[in-house]
Amino acid sequence: MKKLFIFGCIAAATGLAACTNLDENLYSRINADNFYHNRSEVLAAVTRPFTHANAWAAPTGQNGYWRLSELSADQLAWPQKGRHGYDGGDWIRLHHHAWVPLEGTIENAWRLMYSGMGFCNNTLKDLSAQDFTKIGMTEAEKGTLLAETKVLRAWHYLKLMDLFGKLPVSTEPNVNFNPVSQERPEVFAFIEKEILDNYDSLEVLRPEMVGRVTKATALSMLAEMYINAEVWTGTKRYDDCIAVCNRIIAGEGGALSGSAPKLEADIYKPFNNTNHLSTENLFQIAYDLRAGDFNFGWNGDFWHYRQRQIYNVDRDGNNGIVVIPTAYDAFEDKDLRKTGWMLIGPQLNKATGAPVQGTEEYNGKPLVFVKEIRRNSEGETGEGGMTRGEENSGARFAKYVPGDVTDEVNYWGNDFVLYRLADIYLWKAEAIMRNNGNTANAEAVTLVNDVRKRAFAVEDWATEAYDAGTLTLDELLAERGREFIFEGKRRQDLIRFGKFTTNTWWDHPASTDAKWNLFPIPQNQRALNPNLGQNTGYGQ
Amino acid sequence: MEKKSTLLMRVALQSFLLMLLSFHVFAQNRQVTGKVTDAKDGSPLPGVTVQIKGTTAGGQTGPDGSFKLEAPPTATTLIFSIIGYENKEVAITGEPLNVKLGASVKALKDVVVIGYGTQKQAEVTSSVATVKPEDFNQGGSRNPLDLVQGKVAGLSITRAGGNNPNGSVSVQLRGASTLVAGLQPLIVIDGVPGGNLDLIQQDDIASFDVLKDGSAAAIYGTRASNGVILITTKRGKAGEPTYSYSTYLQRDAVAQKPNMLSAEQYLKLPGTTDLGGRIKMYDLLLDEDNLSQYHNFSASGGTANSNYRASLYYNDQNGISIQNSRRQYGGRVNVNQTGLQGKLTMQMNVAANLNKANLLGGSAGDFEQAVQRNPTAPIFNEDGSYLETNAFNNYNPLARLTQEISQRDQQTFSGDVKFTLDLYKGLKLSASGAIIRNSWNDRAYRYKDSRSSQVDYNGGGYASKSNQLDFNKTFESVLDYSTTIAEDHSFTALAGYSYQYFTTEGFNVNNNGFLTDAFLDWNLGAGNAITNNALKRPGIGSIKEDNTLVAFFGRLSYSYKQKYLAQVVVRREGSSRFGANHKWGTFPAASVGWVLTKEDFLANNNTINNLKLRLGYGVTGRQDGVANYGSLITLSTGGQYLQDGTWTQTYGPSVNPNPDLKWEQKKEWNLGIDYGFLNNRITGSLDLYNRKTVDLLAQYRAQQPPYIHDQLFTNVGAISNRGIELVVSATPVATKDFTWSTDVTFTYQTGKLESLSNSQFKATYFEYGSLPSPGALGNAIRVEEGQPLGNFYGKRFAGFDSDSSWLFYDKDGNKVGADQITAEDYSVIGNGIPKFLASWSNTVKYKNFDLTLFFRGKFDYQILNLQDLYFGNLKWLPNNVLESAIGKNGGLKDDPQYSDYYLEKGGFVKLDNITLGYNFKLKTKYITNLRLYASGRNVATMTKYSGLDPELEDNGLTTSIDNRGFYPRTRSYTVGLNIGF
Repeated sequence: MKKLFIFGCIAAATGLAACTNLDENLYSRINADNFYHNRSEVLAAVTRPFTHANAWAAPTGQNGYWRLSELSADQLAWPQKGRHGYDGGDWIRLHHHAWVPLEGTIENAWRLMYSGMGFCNNTLKDLSAQDFTKIGMTEAEKGTLLAETKVLRAWHYLKLMDLFGKLPVSTEPNVNFNPVSQERPEVFAFIEKEILDNYDSLEVLRPEMVGRVTKATALSMLAEMYINAEVWTGTKRYDDCIAVCNRIIAGEGGALSGSAPKLEADIYKPFNNTNHLSTENLFQIAYDLRAGDFNFGWNGDFWHYRQRQIYNVDRDGNNGIVVIPTAYDAFEDKDLRKTGWMLIGPQLNKATGAPVQGTEEYNGKPLVFVKEIRRNSEGETGEGGMTRGEENSGARFAKYVPGDVTDEVNYWGNDFVLYRLADIYLWKAEAIMRNNGNTANAEAVTLVNDVRKRAFAVEDWATEAYDAGTLTLDELLAERGREFIFEGKRRQDLIRFGKFTTNTWWDHPASTDAKWNLFPIPQNQRALNPNLGQNTGYGQ
Repeated sequence: MEKKSTLLMRVALQSFLLMLLSFHVFAQNRQVTGKVTDAKDGSPLPGVTVQIKGTTAGGQTGPDGSFKLEAPPTATTLIFSIIGYENKEVAITGEPLNVKLGASVKALKDVVVIGYGTQKQAEVTSSVATVKPEDFNQGGSRNPLDLVQGKVAGLSITRAGGNNPNGSVSVQLRGASTLVAGLQPLIVIDGVPGGNLDLIQQDDIASFDVLKDGSAAAIYGTRASNGVILITTKRGKAGEPTYSYSTYLQRDAVAQKPNMLSAEQYLKLPGTTDLGGRIKMYDLLLDEDNLSQYHNFSASGGTANSNYRASLYYNDQNGISIQNSRRQYGGRVNVNQTGLQGKLTMQMNVAANLNKANLLGGSAGDFEQAVQRNPTAPIFNEDGSYLETNAFNNYNPLARLTQEISQRDQQTFSGDVKFTLDLYKGLKLSASGAIIRNSWNDRAYRYKDSRSSQVDYNGGGYASKSNQLDFNKTFESVLDYSTTIAEDHSFTALAGYSYQYFTTEGFNVNNNGFLTDAFLDWNLGAGNAITNNALKRPGIGSIKEDNTLVAFFGRLSYSYKQKYLAQVVVRREGSSRFGANHKWGTFPAASVGWVLTKEDFLANNNTINNLKLRLGYGVTGRQDGVANYGSLITLSTGGQYLQDGTWTQTYGPSVNPNPDLKWEQKKEWNLGIDYGFLNNRITGSLDLYNRKTVDLLAQYRAQQPPYIHDQLFTNVGAISNRGIELVVSATPVATKDFTWSTDVTFTYQTGKLESLSNSQFKATYFEYGSLPSPGALGNAIRVEEGQPLGNFYGKRFAGFDSDSSWLFYDKDGNKVGADQITAEDYSVIGNGIPKFLASWSNTVKYKNFDLTLFFRGKFDYQILNLQDLYFGNLKWLPNNVLESAIGKNGGLKDDPQYSDYYLEKGGFVKLDNITLGYNFKLKTKYITNLRLYASGRNVATMTKYSGLDPELEDNGLTTSIDNRGFYPRTRSYTVGLNIGF
């Protein structure tokens, strides 16, 4: 009988052992190897980095390229407003140039931007391995999509290089750990080569390609690199800059409307909720709230807690970023960009016409935005400062406005513009001036005036136009500030003009040390990768 | 699952064959007679099994307790056994035998449930605590674990959400030992792992057994690191069928209200506006007339070979908040039977819980609004609509609680059956199957006039529905063998297999844009948002996930003369959640014991009655930190983007890949002493443990590049916990009319983050306790390599400057303003984990009265008083503020900042339970027991803490932060009745 028992036990044990299957069954998720079955799935991967760029390139509530570029510069700030907005001193340190290698704001920009770059790497790896003919696509289409993704990746590196200087350059996801940082000129050369090698395969800009990387994007990137080349590599490339600007202006890269891009006559058109049609725009993050449930959510960073009443829309904001007094005063009163792109003064409820009420220092009282950032409610006078704000302090962002909430098609459809023809005009003008002993010639004056004159009434223009005498480099920097305010470009401009660490503005004494021209490599990434190195001045 | 059914058939077939082989026939030639009675009252005991020792032959007593059987000439002794009484061996004398059996109350107490079996207390070599109903916290309980709060040294049970009927308890055994995984111990109900506490009512519980150390818990493998709580439900007994009924009524009353300024005080402050009302909004959110009731009726009975118990309950729980209730009913049936000539035993349980919960009220946010609302703000505007105050983030909480609906309708069922076949001389094979099905439907509606509807949904109302279904299936099979060799060497061995399959699925849908409130959420399609693009998009979603756990396990116990004891355990377990490189883990354990009082030098010692030394080591795992599919690269949507002119979802990898993902592993040493002194009037245990959890799961900063995402969920860090647990039970006075018994538990605990780095991943700290808006004041708690757990990390208060603004110390010791502080100036400023925990329970019995006093305390920690930080500051105006804003913080004229200024000493002692009961001794044969009692819970608190209640969430890593919003802490008063008939 014992034998039988032992036999029984063994049999039982064997029977049990058969059921050891630990496979995972996916129901509401997709495994990465079960994708790319058709053109739409391929494009879903190609377009992934663009929606991610919403997080770091545009002011949509995260610490990315935009915030580092604007909150460290001389136009915008996020001052503490009473009990709001201290935020661990993050914004104060950006404004004062007092950041450290452990700074969370800086690390977050690195993380977001390298994630976007990583999405590009992943798409390149996955698409390279696909046989496009099996899913009804051609090898040519494959080449175009790979080229687009490579140039998109180069754009990530371009913006990273702007912030950090030297960088690890990685072209495959999840392999080759501890990459060594390359010096800025090497990164520059890598980006330039990627753009040039892939340029021919890119599509030209046309309405169907809005929001995607096209030849117009690639040429704009080259223009940005060449205008900054002297700072970034030590080599002047102003002739190259002028050459690519000319190609863009001539329409080689295509346009959203017509055969070549054209400056808009109306200063709102590049930014309004149908700006996917603007003749001026060359590269943008595309958004469409109604059709795509995806919108450029600037309200969080810029809008007041009661701002929905001002526009009669369905969202409010966190009352964060405002224009500092010195930047507001840099506009003349008759400059349409001052009156049109900023909110100041008493705010009225768009639906009722009644004054919008404050909620904090002006709780129950009319909300009146003032240019000063100081405790007016406590009778403070003087310049104010980063900790002295109130809920109504500072002129407010209004370059982008969402339109009418009852509009079932275009409400909040604004695309965030990354390159527009005005950039090309002003870069070309600047390159000409820098080639010309830092003085303007007639061509430069015309280019700048073409951009500027849209901001003035016809009757004012005679006194506002530049001539070769008035258009100095300093004046060009100031004009760039007025034209590109809120566009995430100010830090790069100040550095190129040598003013980022030497100028003083509002609550920012000159930071004097050239180290502030680069952000530190995030300490936490250096702890993970010993080959990253650190920028000069931030210790080792 | 097909595999499982073929497997079941195979096992059944084999079992059946084996059964056929075990019939025996015995010769007979001598008659033995006698009668069996209850030792206590002399009543006859029917259905007692009478067995001839050394054989399987025997018989049963009849209705009058008498028996008659034929015994072979070799028979010398009879064994009498029946459930509920102690077994007795009686020598055959030739005379009729008069056998008195004693009730086995003590015997029950002496058996410990250890997972896949039981063990005599005297032979236990690991750290196991048992709590029986007589030691439960008395009065009403919201959760079965409330019954043992404070009763088990090292088991911390906290109700951070107060006595909210829909709140949950947090449980932690022997300190926080994980960064991200849950701390909930594995619940095993009647042997089924992963039990649902909703299916357990307080009157159905026969015992809690807590497997505390690694050597005890390792038998449960990847789910054992948090400890295991084994709950055994009550069984029927042979004999007269009995009924019992218990009931109570309970009311909660607010223990302490926050000290907001009165309207008069408020109006004296600058910048405040008199809106004309004098409203105490906080009081309006309270249901001071709340009443909870509980009824449990059970019937049980049985014979020697079968018994049953069935219970039904109804429980209506109402919290201190309005719109805050839970009404539940259900039942539990247990059937046990032994058949096939005593060879085959079946145990079956079926349980159900149906409940309906009002989830709308009781949220912390509503009470926060009530505290800060302008006390002069009327409830209504003149037109009858609710008045909303204007300040930042304000809302009218009474309006929300009136104009919204949020309910849950939940049904939970479980069924399990276990067959045990006696194969041959101590060899048993058991097979069990169980299902647990937990499903709920949630519904919500926000009326058109509600603030949410007005602000977010264009005034068109909002309706949503969602459901979830969790279904667990379990099959387990155990082969069990026990034998004694050469009289002195006893062995118990078991080997088993376990298969568990878990699925969860759910869907949710919401819509808005309703023309009328008439439908509420019962006609979702009527909402206009489906077609009107200008309205907020309706939402829809569904999900399904599964996971599988498969394990093989074994245990060998050895005892030499009950003097030298040893046990070895191993479980090899695989989980579908783990990465491809680590699908299976092995969890071994070993423990030894030495009963000194069995040695000659202590034998028959009158002072020292029991002294046992125990030493155990065990390796256990924690798998619940790993999400389903956590190791795979899945794609997720990234928002829509333009594709050839059409907006289409984008897809990208959702996580970084980690084929190495696995369980967290805990290695634990436990040294224990069990003792009994002075005729066992003083008994107890002392345990010292040292546990180290390695391969801690966390979202680690990933190296970018080459990783795509900034985090990788992986196993890196290590936490160590050490502690001492002392339990003393004593009966200082025991006379005929008066007894006083007392129990003390004492726990010392300390935890340290040993490391957060390995060769690939480096982190120095993680932070917890993000301080809420406004101001984004950062995280309050930092867990740092080489540092104790629970450290508050922040600025050091250095006084106020001439403008009454904050000054803090920078790293060099200079006093600077908040705008000068950088991350380098922060430091450790306190610790929120209590180092010492203690409880003291006293039961005094005088004649028919009994009185219980239960004290509980926690000591040596700090509390971050966020209520003071935010509300105790005049900058919080125009919201209402606490009195401390004009009192102790009156010298401050600056915005809220987090620093050690707001850390307070946190120790306390609570009179947690006081119960007075009366047991009627009735001279009737109809009623066997009748008890009336009254209880108070959370009756009094002694503390230096200035806030409302020093007992806060101190389990886990976000510890001792007294949050801004809070469910009111209450005292509970109960009157109850238990009757048996």
